[in-house]
Parts: sequence; structure tokens; C-alpha cells
Amino acid sequence: MSRSDAGAEGGGDADQVPSIARRVVSPFVDRSVAERLLISVAAILLSIVVGFVIVLVSGRIAQCSTAAWTMPLTGIGFCYDPVEVYLVLFNGALGYPFAVGEPGLFNPNWTPFNLSLGLTLSETTLLIFTGLSVAVAFRAGLFNIGTQGQLVVGALATALTVLAAAPFLPEGPVAGVVLIVVGTLAGAAGGGFWGAIPGALKAYADANEVITTIMLNFIAANIAYVLVLEVFRAEGSSVVATQYVPEHAQYLPWVFPESSDFALLALLVGLGFIVGLYYLVEHTSFGYDLRTSGVQAAAAEYGGVNAKATTVRAMTLSGAIGGVGGSVWVLMSEGRWMASVPALGFDGITVSILAGNNPLGVLPAAFLFGLLKGGALEIGFRTDVPTQLVGVLRGLIILFVAMPEFFRMAGRYVGVGSTGPGGPGGSASTSEGTDDEATAVGGGEADA
Amino acid sequence: MRNPLADVTVPILDDLIESDYVRSLIVGTVGVLGALLVLGALFPDSVAGDLSGIVFSASTASSTARLAAPIVLAGLGGIFAEKSGVINIGLEGLLIISAFASVYVASVVGIGNAVLGVPAIWVGFLAGIAASTALSGVFGIVCIEFKADQIIAGLAVWLIALGLAPFMSTVFFGGVNTPNLGASVGWEYSAVMVIAATIASWWALNRTAFGKHLRAAGENPKALDTVGVSVSKVRHAGVLLSGVLSGVGGSALALSIGQFVGSGETMVQGKGFIAIVAYLFGNYNPVGTLGAGVLFAGLDAVQIRLQQLGYAVPDTLVQTIPYVVVIVVLALVGRTQLPEAAGEHYETED
Repeated sequence: MSRSDAGAEGGGDADQVPSIARRVVSPFVDRSVAERLLISVAAILLSIVVGFVIVLVSGRIAQCSTAAWTMPLTGIGFCYDPVEVYLVLFNGALGYPFAVGEPGLFNPNWTPFNLSLGLTLSETTLLIFTGLSVAVAFRAGLFNIGTQGQLVVGALATALTVLAAAPFLPEGPVAGVVLIVVGTLAGAAGGGFWGAIPGALKAYADANEVITTIMLNFIAANIAYVLVLEVFRAEGSSVVATQYVPEHAQYLPWVFPESSDFALLALLVGLGFIVGLYYLVEHTSFGYDLRTSGVQAAAAEYGGVNAKATTVRAMTLSGAIGGVGGSVWVLMSEGRWMASVPALGFDGITVSILAGNNPLGVLPAAFLFGLLKGGALEIGFRTDVPTQLVGVLRGLIILFVAMPEFFRMAGRYVGVGSTGPGGPGGSASTSEGTDDEATAVGGGEADA
Repeated sequence: MRNPLADVTVPILDDLIESDYVRSLIVGTVGVLGALLVLGALFPDSVAGDLSGIVFSASTASSTARLAAPIVLAGLGGIFAEKSGVINIGLEGLLIISAFASVYVASVVGIGNAVLGVPAIWVGFLAGIAASTALSGVFGIVCIEFKADQIIAGLAVWLIALGLAPFMSTVFFGGVNTPNLGASVGWEYSAVMVIAATIASWWALNRTAFGKHLRAAGENPKALDTVGVSVSKVRHAGVLLSGVLSGVGGSALALSIGQFVGSGETMVQGKGFIAIVAYLFGNYNPVGTLGAGVLFAGLDAVQIRLQQLGYAVPDTLVQTIPYVVVIVVLALVGRTQLPEAAGEHYETED
């Protein structure tokens, strides 16, 4: 029986609107953790291989005086060295802990508190929040493409709140803590509000959240831009940006270099969010409502879950986490709101997809994309290869993660064994978490 | 009907448009423009006078045609893909890749040269279409053969193109923006292509066997399978057509300027997403999509002229209007009539 058939059974009722999001999400939810992990790793490896080929091909087309790399056996020269590209990408993103071309495996001068690793971890921290934001919505069967807009609104709310509150408090560490807490709450409120809009539209007007969140991203960016341009722009600033929030209201870098824009405290907050959300999703009744409406809305409704309210709550929570990401961006990275907001929200989608929408998986996924970001800078410094390569790699990873069937086919072809959930070996790798869901779905179907 | 405009009958259009919704959209637009024309003629010195002067000027028409081409063409492509059951949200990526490929190939051939009697700029145009079609082919294989999730694969197509075009531009030209070709495709060509593609799409969707198969693949794939037509083949055709049409749009966009701009969100700047909005707004009707696309592009063109006349409307706010309109329409109309089986894989039972 195909998966699509399984989905159709539950939604057979004429009243059950066939939601694309639910169909889109179901293959991600009802797959075992082990298999998802395997597919994610395979997708990363495959995109590295494809990236290797792209570097080679473009290195053949590009103009250069001496070949950077010569293909063994053939003697064909290439302008770019694909091996070096990946060495620089991953080694450089960590601040070169491995010695290349010198005796010894490790670089004796390496410390963990270097600039490159700081930049990598700074990106990781931000992606943890946006990745969690997308993941929470996904688990509820909602595709929140709007984390970007929620982050923009949350960031602006944080910056304006902290700027407004700062004059009333004496400078000092206590005021700093108060301002960071207030700013983070403001970010959560702003992002939560922006997330609640598509949630309410979905629940009460049946408007597709994929479209409304894309639209709300544009609206958030444009309105925030005009607001800052016309009202809140810092005097004498050459870019469209607010004033800087006071130094004491920002996350302090502590052991990492100032210019890395990384604060260990913010990363710890992010880790706290990961654990908290994991607990919320897996071990609370709200999380149960969330997951069941994500897996099987009809069953959830039958079992007494208020699907409409759950939709609004899930989107609000998702938006609030995105908003907190925005507050961290202001209070850790930039120190102010500025118009060129990086695409952290869109990257959050890629993080969440790679993480299989599991809060715990968000950490390694965010770190991988943090590595790519930090490594891109190093590629720009050390090689002639355009840094946009990293953007291509990101797209490829997502493309490959989206096609698990390809890896199953490949697996069957090379005889690794049928790893699909429908295959005989599938049940062996099923984790406890998915067992719960499977039971929930099974029970729901029996009732219906 | 709660919409009073839906009951207005327009004899010529009635045959073309079955949907009340699209008809009310068109009648509403014509009505607003008519009112503007009357107001402008009565009070030439007022804002309405200026506005009608702008709306009915030749320069607005030409820039509207230029801006509308990628939106309408990609939107038409989106209809073919979605009607066949594959939601293609990678239209933006298809526009980006064709915009770059068209400029790149035109510059490789060299303006002034020709291949088999075809001038370089038109060789570039075809190359743009080819690039977009190839990428849509990959998307189709990934979605249909490998059963990938359509929305995520569509996002991936966008992200890949967003990285690949500036990457290639840097490899070939040393920067994310290509140099200007010094030649361009006139807006009249864009206008003709948009109108021809709209009519052809309407005809293909509503008057041919292929159109019937396409709709069946999206609405009831099992029935199509039963009568012996391959659902996969029809869906591949739908996706490839979305690539061809987006390729025309992307090439027209880049070659109307003669340059590819790859910084930030590239020169496409979300037009692929607006295209999705346009066809949803037009309720999967090519004529409605044309109307919506021209409306969005026209708003943009009018806004540019308003700035030039010294009205201090923040352009960013005017650009926000289409997005807000979409949300309001979605909230009022609710669910658009998404094909029943869109987003689902279909497995042949053989």
C-alpha cells in the first residue's frame, strides 16, 4: 500500500479538506528516526559529491594561468582544486584545528576560541532558533515558510523595546539582564503575533499557510523597512537601521573574539530551547495534541483535540521562537535592527528538514549549516572559488533530503537491504517515539 | 453569490471565462480603470488627473509589459504543473536560471554574431528556455520518479538556482552581475509573447485532449490511469511546460535589460512567487492569470512614475499591496480550487 493511499483513507470524509501541508508533512513524520538520520547523512554526502563535480566543471571553464589541480591519470588541469575547497570549507570553519601539508595531524596553535569558530557558532546559534521555529510548525502539520518574516518582526520589536526601555534603567549588569529578558520577550511577542496571523487564517478562513506565510514575509520586510526608514532611523546612518542598543544590553562575547559576534550565553539559551521544546513536543499533552493533529488531523479531532485552536497555538509558538531568533540576532550579532536581514528564516527551513523536524536533530543540522556559513568566508579568503558555491550546496542538500525514495531505490539496487518502512527490515529500526505516533494513528483510524 | 460583480455579463468574455470569480476580477479592474479615466478627464489638475495620465501613458504600458512578462509566463507555467498534480513553487528558481543562461549564452555568442542565421540575442533567449526546461525536468524526475516532496523540492530548485546563477556569473564574468550586453529585446516582443502564451495556454487547457489529460492527472489520476494514459507522462509534460514558459519569462526579463543582476535575491526579486499568487488569484485560468499579472506589474510601473512626478509614496509600501491583496482574497474566498490530487504521488497499479 502506498503512503498516499494511507493518507487518503483518513481524509475520506467530504468535509475533510485535503490539506497539502498534511500530505507534504506526513512522509517526514511517519518515518523512523534511524532512517531519517541515514537519509540526511546520505544527502549531505551526495551533495558534497555533486558540489565536487560543479567545482571541477566550473574550474575547467574559468580562466587561470596555472592549474590549481590536475586530475590523476588524465593530466587535465583545472583552475579550482575541489579537494582544497572542502578542506578549507570544513577545516577553516573550525579555525584550522587540523594541520594540512605539515607534519602532525593537529595544528598546535589552535584554540577553540578563535574567530572562525566563533563566526560558525554565531550562525549555529541563530539557526537553532529558526530551525526550531520551522520544526514545531512542521510537527503540527503546518509548513511555516514565514519564519523569516516572524524573525524580522521579532527583531524590530526587540530593538525598539530595548531602545525605549534602556533610558529608564541605570547602566550595569542588572539592567543588562533585565533589558535582554525584556527584549527577548518583546521579540517573542512580535514574532508570535506575526505567526498567529497565518495560523488564524488557516484555522478560521482555510487559507493555505504556505501562501500566506510567503506573502507575510514580504509584508514584514517591507513594513519594517518603511517604519525604520521613516520613523526609527538612526540619525546620520548611511544604511536603513535603528540606533545601536546600549552595550550592556547585548550578549557579551566572553571568551570568543569580539568581532565573531558570538556569545556563549546565547548558544546556551538556544540549547535550553532545544531541550525545552523536545520535552514540550514529546512529553506534554500540548505536544501530543500538536503531533496527532500533524499526523492525522481527523483522528486528533475525533480524540477531542481542538484542531483549530491547536493550529493557531502551534503557529504562534513557531512565530515566537522565530521572534526570539530575531532578538538574538539584534542583541548578539548586530546590536541594532538593520534593513539587510540575513535569510536566517529560510535557512531555518533547511535546518528543520535536515533535522527530520526533531528538536534534538536541530542542533547538528544548525551546526552543519553554521559550518557552511563560516566555511564560505574562508573559501572567499583562501581560494578563487566563488563563495556562492555554499548556496548551491545548501540547495542540493535540501533537494536530496526531499527524495528519500531515491536513496531507498539506490539502497535496494546495491543490495543494502530494504530499508523502507514498508519493507521487512523497516520495523527493526523504528524508535519508540515513532511507535507512539504509529499507535496514535492506528487507533485513530480504527475509531474513524 | 455574495459578489455582485459576478453577475455582470460581458458577451465576448463569457465564452472564454467560465468562472464567476475571474469575471468579477476582470470587470472590477476595468471598472476601476474606467472610473479613473472619467475622473481624470473631469478633473485634470487633481491627483486623479495625474494618475490617469500615468496609467494611460505609453511609457507605463511599456514598463508594465516588461515587468508583467516574467510574472504572467511563470504563472501560466505554474498552472500547467499544478493542474497536472505537481505543485511547482520553484518557479522563482526557473526564472533565475533562465535569466542568467540567456545573458550568458548571448554574450558567449557575441552580440552582432549569429548562429545558423539566428542573432545572438535570440540564441540567448532559446538558451534561457533550455536551461529552465532542463531544471524543471530535474524537478519533475525528483518529484515524480523519486516521489520527493513537491514543496521542499520546489524550495530546493529555488535555492539551487539562487546559488548557481551568481556562482556561474562569478566564474565567467568575475562578479555576481554580468556586464551589460549592449543590446536588448524590445518590450513589444514581451507583450506579444505574453498574450500569445496566454491564448495558447487557454486553448491547450480547455480545448485539447492534452488539457483534459492534464486536468485528470491532477483531479483524478486513477481515472486517467484506467483509460490507459500514463499519469507520470502527463505530469512530466506539465512540469516541463512550466519550465518552458518560465524560461520565456526569465529570458524576456533579463534580455529586456540586457544584463543579469545576481546580487541579493537576484533581478528576479520574488517575481516567481508573485507568479504563484497571480495564477491563484486568476483561479488557474490563463486569462485571469494575465489579468492578475498585468495588475501587479501595472501597480509597480505606476508607482515608479508616481515617484518621478514627486509624489512621496514610499515605493516599498506600494510594492506591498499585491501581497496584502492576496492575503485578503485568500481570507475572504478561502481555499482556492486546488486540484484534488495535487501534491500527491500516484502509483500505477500494474
